[in-house]
Amino acid sequence: MKEELQTLGAMASGDAHAFARWASSVEQPLRGSLRAFAASVDTEAVLQETLLRIWQVAPRFTHDGKPNALLRFAMRTARNVAVSEWRRQGRADQQEALEQHLSAELTIAPITPDPHLREQIVKCREKLPGKPKVALEQRLVSDGTEDDGVLAQRLGMSLNTFLQNFTRARKFLKECLEKAGIHLDGELS
Amino acid sequence: MTPEDELLLEQVTSAHRERHADGSIRSHPAWHDLDEAGRAEAFEATLTLRKMEAALDADGHSATVRALLNRLQK
Repeated sequence: MKEELQTLGAMASGDAHAFARWASSVEQPLRGSLRAFAASVDTEAVLQETLLRIWQVAPRFTHDGKPNALLRFAMRTARNVAVSEWRRQGRADQQEALEQHLSAELTIAPITPDPHLREQIVKCREKLPGKPKVALEQRLVSDGTEDDGVLAQRLGMSLNTFLQNFTRARKFLKECLEKAGIHLDGELS
Repeated sequence: MTPEDELLLEQVTSAHRERHADGSIRSHPAWHDLDEAGRAEAFEATLTLRKMEAALDADGHSATVRALLNRLQK
């Protein structure tokens, strides 16, 4: 818990990299907590909005003395953001479905990096064929700051061709990892 | 899933999201064009992709975290 308090202190003083390290450790459980909302709201937008709110709230956040206080707060925030978005879309009449979403079981624990996954995926990336490889690289270097249409244009591809190549890259990596005994589907770690 | 839906799904897996005028984050336009099954599939594909991105990144950050970090550093 000492590390958690140090991270919180760094975030409160405006250390964006401390925030990014914390966000990386909690992204998977946070995203997983939104699975029940996947068909109802864009969970990527909800997750990013949630993390930005945590960054904004960090200087005023009071730790309750129990482990993973900020992650627990983030999970409540994520659900509130998802419910607000759900209601904004005019789905407030579907109360029963919403209650099912809210009763979904949560896993509350940060995730540590898996060195075996890292080692294997680097090997898989080296085996990627040309165009899927450049499509993947463009997404990675863009850091989510540019639309796929911009990335496609930069590569001289139509949007559809870029997306088809990206699909091939994603599926290639997944199959390559599975051959190495690494299955990423459905797990939180 | 139709080929058209697969292209929509792939767009939704991107971490790029536009902002509302108040700075809040907008849903991806392609997400609205997917049916419920497609949205659920996009969620699972994104979950897996983010794990891959984090494993490929020297700092262990997915595209989601890198997008936010970029935003905070501007």
